[in-house]
Amino acid sequence: MTVLAYSEDPGLASEVYAGATEIAKQLGSEALSIYLDANTAPNSTAGKAVVLKSDRQLSGHPDLSLEAISEYALQRKPSAVLIGGTRFGRQLASQLAVRMRVGVLSDVRCLKVENGKLRGVRQVYAGKYSAEVVAPLPCVAVIPAGAYEKNVGTPSVETVTVGRASEKISHVETKPKGKVTVDIKNASIIVSAGRGFRNKEDLVLLDELAKKLNGAVGCSRPLSSDLGWLGEEHHIGLTGARVHPDLYLAVGISGQLQHVAGIKDSKIIVAVNKDKQAPIFQVADYGIVGDLYQVIPALLKHLG
Amino acid sequence: MKVVVCVKNAVDELELTGSVNGKLQNPQTKMSIFDRNALEEAIRIKEKTGALVVALSLGDETAKKTVKEAMAMGADRGVLIQCDPTELDTLTTSYYLARFIQQENAELTLCSEGSSDTYSGQIGPMIAEWANQPFVGYARKIELNESGVRCEQAYEDRVDVSETKFPAVISVVSEINEPRYTTLLQIMQASKRTTESIPLQNLGGSEAPQTQVRVLDLTAQSMNRKKVLFEGEVDVAVGKLMEALRSEQVINV
Repeated sequence: MTVLAYSEDPGLASEVYAGATEIAKQLGSEALSIYLDANTAPNSTAGKAVVLKSDRQLSGHPDLSLEAISEYALQRKPSAVLIGGTRFGRQLASQLAVRMRVGVLSDVRCLKVENGKLRGVRQVYAGKYSAEVVAPLPCVAVIPAGAYEKNVGTPSVETVTVGRASEKISHVETKPKGKVTVDIKNASIIVSAGRGFRNKEDLVLLDELAKKLNGAVGCSRPLSSDLGWLGEEHHIGLTGARVHPDLYLAVGISGQLQHVAGIKDSKIIVAVNKDKQAPIFQVADYGIVGDLYQVIPALLKHLG
Repeated sequence: MKVVVCVKNAVDELELTGSVNGKLQNPQTKMSIFDRNALEEAIRIKEKTGALVVALSLGDETAKKTVKEAMAMGADRGVLIQCDPTELDTLTTSYYLARFIQQENAELTLCSEGSSDTYSGQIGPMIAEWANQPFVGYARKIELNESGVRCEQAYEDRVDVSETKFPAVISVVSEINEPRYTTLLQIMQASKRTTESIPLQNLGGSEAPQTQVRVLDLTAQSMNRKKVLFEGEVDVAVGKLMEALRSEQVINV
């Protein structure tokens, strides 16, 4: 019996594999990472890995990736499958679970094996509560970023050829999402903008601050969604990225539950808002009550 | 054409307060906020093509309110699969939703990327698997053609343009549209219309799965933050903040 680990995101794959290793230890079995396509040598996880390949490229194609991974998992009969919590990961985990007829633990941390069951902790209700959830093994678990320390290495690899998958969805083209220069999920400092900014041009202030702090730029949902001032990849919150920087600086963000759900794992949260009653101050370590148009220049000055 | 929209009678997270002793006791519910985008998209399809929109929910009596709200927004029919939703997990919920969708021969099923209360993002892709239909996830744009759909799917790092044939299941992201408001008149009219109720067991079948995932305990999360506020003269406040951040060792300038 094995514990399978997969994420299409190499950084997350190392974390998911670390989680799988812990569970495997508790089960007295071994962890195995799954990679797709044989074009590059696996290098994001240690231990053992299997490379699934077919006569077509599997990665980057949700349908073909699912077919390959589920074919392998159904034949391998793992005790658990851990999948990184990206958008594609959630989709994959769900479809795989129905094929395996097993349950899915969502966004779980602190996984433990107990009496033939897998137990974990997750946040629910926009992060207001945490739930202890359990499912009998075998099961699928979706692992959020930051749940485990990365276990990076070069694994010993076995290559398995999977059958030719039939496609239900035909892929027309892939468009890059503008220039994706932010990696907010792995950033150690994030400065984030909210509705307190009066117009798009003013975001240069935030850019300057980010540059000075060597941080990434994030935003609350209205800025990337309704207003379209920043790309969707900057969106932090329940439906966007969930981040865990050392320093999270929320500027002109009121602190709606959906936004706060994405920043809970930050080490230090700083809020700048002119409204002293803004809920963001309730979840911040340090706050400045003041106009961001005065506070940012002052911050820039102090940073030298 | 028939379009089924899945609407969840979600726990209203804004109304939840304090300790819950491991379990929610009769929490307030509301239509999951992201489901409004799925419903809006279905209504736009109806306005363009004359499609019939069926709002589908699963839950106890309180879920009727959510179904009616969907009807007020523009759904032609409202259906509730009756059960105690706390007894089901995503695997079982999606199974029963899929059984209904298959019985109805719906060409298109729309749902949101995840619910506003538990946000697992599993129902859409699971329905597709149970119904053996293609799943198009995270659509930010949907275009219909004679035999299917063309969608822009928003993943973290890219946008995939893909095509598939009916029947299909699509999940939408909230940037796809701005959901319309319902007028008081619409709400009053919808309250007079009847919702169709189907007991869960009527949708059973030999493949019906058992609930796998259980919630053992629920605890209020405290954000144990320092909540130190600096007010007054901006330059002084910023100076104090810089000092604090240096001593926290999160900045080194």
